[in-house]
Amino acid sequence: MPKAIGLITCNYTTASKDDVFSGRPVASMPYLGRYRLVDFALSNMVNAGIRNVGMIMPNNYRSLVDHVGSGKDWDLDRKNGGLFIMPGTAFGTSRTGARFLIRDLVQNREFFTKNNEKYVVLSTANFICSVDIKGLIAKHEESGANITVLCKRASCDGNIDVVTFDVEDGRVKSMNQGVKFNQLAFLDYAVIERELLLELIDSFAAVDHLDLFEALNSEYGRFRVMVAEFDRYMKPIFDKDSYFKANMDLLDEDVLTEFANGYPIKTKAHDNPPAKYEPGCKVSNALIASGDRIYGSVQSSVLGRNVIVEPGASVRNSVLMQGVIVKAGAKIENAIIDKNNVVPAGTELRGTDGDILYLKKN
Amino acid sequence: MSKKECVAMLLAGGQGSRLGVLTSKVAKPAVSFGGKYRIIDFVLSNCANSGINTVGVLTQYRPYLLHEYLGTGEAWNLDERDGGVAILPPFATQTGGSWYAGTADAITQNLGYLESQDAEYILILSGDQLYRMDYEDMLATHKANNADLTVAVMPVPWEDASRFGIMNCADDGRIEEFVEKPAEPKSNLASMGIYIFNAKLLIDTLKEDDKDPNSTHDFGGDIIPKLLADGKRLFTYQFKAYWRDVGTVASFHEANMELLGSEPAFDLFAQDAPIMSNSSTRPPAYVGPKGSVDDSLVDNGCAIMGTVEHSVISAEVYVGKNAIVKDSILFPGAIVEDGAVVINAIMAERSVVKAGAHFGSADEETVTLGDDAVVEKGE
Repeated sequence: MPKAIGLITCNYTTASKDDVFSGRPVASMPYLGRYRLVDFALSNMVNAGIRNVGMIMPNNYRSLVDHVGSGKDWDLDRKNGGLFIMPGTAFGTSRTGARFLIRDLVQNREFFTKNNEKYVVLSTANFICSVDIKGLIAKHEESGANITVLCKRASCDGNIDVVTFDVEDGRVKSMNQGVKFNQLAFLDYAVIERELLLELIDSFAAVDHLDLFEALNSEYGRFRVMVAEFDRYMKPIFDKDSYFKANMDLLDEDVLTEFANGYPIKTKAHDNPPAKYEPGCKVSNALIASGDRIYGSVQSSVLGRNVIVEPGASVRNSVLMQGVIVKAGAKIENAIIDKNNVVPAGTELRGTDGDILYLKKN
Repeated sequence: MSKKECVAMLLAGGQGSRLGVLTSKVAKPAVSFGGKYRIIDFVLSNCANSGINTVGVLTQYRPYLLHEYLGTGEAWNLDERDGGVAILPPFATQTGGSWYAGTADAITQNLGYLESQDAEYILILSGDQLYRMDYEDMLATHKANNADLTVAVMPVPWEDASRFGIMNCADDGRIEEFVEKPAEPKSNLASMGIYIFNAKLLIDTLKEDDKDPNSTHDFGGDIIPKLLADGKRLFTYQFKAYWRDVGTVASFHEANMELLGSEPAFDLFAQDAPIMSNSSTRPPAYVGPKGSVDDSLVDNGCAIMGTVEHSVISAEVYVGKNAIVKDSILFPGAIVEDGAVVINAIMAERSVVKAGAHFGSADEETVTLGDDAVVEKGE
């Protein structure tokens, strides 16, 4: 019997002006050839036995609903519980900053009252990571905390969107926006007792424009909010460069093995044939999704489903999303090519190491 | 239950004994094929793509994996309230029960299911053949001929005709004679074991056949000759596209290889009638820095650190560093360790060729390794 229900907020955007995020919520951003970012939060919850998950939707929810459907591919098509698609307050995805906006929690209060599970697991969709949520709940119970937040020490100065906590003896004293080297960065996974969350929703209703953890800033003395540190592979995705890097990181056998075998990430199933490597193609250091057809050369790249690389075409150090066709003789280097683009024969698309070229969705 | 036009009965109980270790643990229709599929996917996809939403699957030999794989039929869009996949293994009744004694007997024992479906036409299929066919077109031919039974046939090379059940027909396609494996064939139209019957005729004929002590209860051997003798209207439906009955290790190997090349004999990528399968979701395949893949199919979840040439690689296969895989078929989860060489071989599910070991050679017949089997170095 699962002890928790899950809530994933999907209705916010990042401070980044990179147009890689324009036109779609972060949660439905394609990743690693065949996933969408929301797959991580959904799979982490489902892998922990949670079968009751609410998703707070952005206004441009088409791609997200197309992807999750009834929740079947995550075993969330249940008679009791399952996947709940819930409205966000009317900010669409133009809202940055707060990711657990109190107004959204107030509006969907009923979701937290309709069940008996003891805990609520909160999450967003920006972090590439396989989280052992069962272990997180166990830690929460062990420490007797009111709220447990999953954090990782930052290995470099990071994004303005990431939240950090000031901590003493593992207990949170305050939260801040933006992350600096060695600070405890919040991975947006938290465990809280359902009854306590309901109390907080009611008592913070007057400041419903705040983020839950922001509103708690005056209350960290009263509530014990404890940090659980995360030690596995993790990548926050808040801009073009981190998105590109998170794809390239997986071109490593060890990282990939951890990714594939630790806690499997589930995603929407498709009926693509296996990838077809044609006679004379050259492929090395690459992730190649099903449905691809490779005639030319692919090096150090990640290819989404149903990509075609025609004869004489070459793809290097790039991320190609699903359905991209690279026509004969075209060359792509240091680039992100969004869905369904056709790169005409003989053309060259080159970014540099420091400035990745982005070709927007067709 | 509303009246249905056509339901399919899919014979999937065969062992496929000539496939040797490949079917030692699973029924032939459940054998892995083409890197992502199991053999039964092709016929189930044909049903779904032809608008047939009710399929009875007759199972008998080693059914666990097959039953698990079929599930509710959801992977082929066959999980419908008024129809869907029904799994039909042999069962007991008040008067006993028995194994399916022949293709016709398997249907006879499930007449209860067929009668409950109340269909006008019954399509009989084999679960171990590879082809794309629009059964709706075959049914249209059946109706246009005002036929009692329509048999799908395809022209085979004359020199092979004596290995098949051959239909001798009039110019309008009406079958005049059926000869099983004729020494001197008069026609090269071979039966594909795909039949459309008028339901009432099939049910009545099977009930009669059941009482005949001399019958072997086989469609080709008993039912078709009887209907011909009775003067019923039997017609052929000519099929000219790709069709394979992968009965032997050699033909199984060849059919997989026919998926490869720039102009494959069977195109898995054809958009109009997709082959559906019940596959798990895995990350894209990883080709390592020293890995290379040429003229092959590679499914998701694989890691290719060595060299793969002219091969079919299923999900979650691992090919180690400096390993070579050539002219081979690797089923899901097969492992070729570092420096191993696999040539002209079929490795079944989760089988392992250990580091530095050699398995198969280009000069000999295709070798097979069973599920979970291991080849050590020096063996």
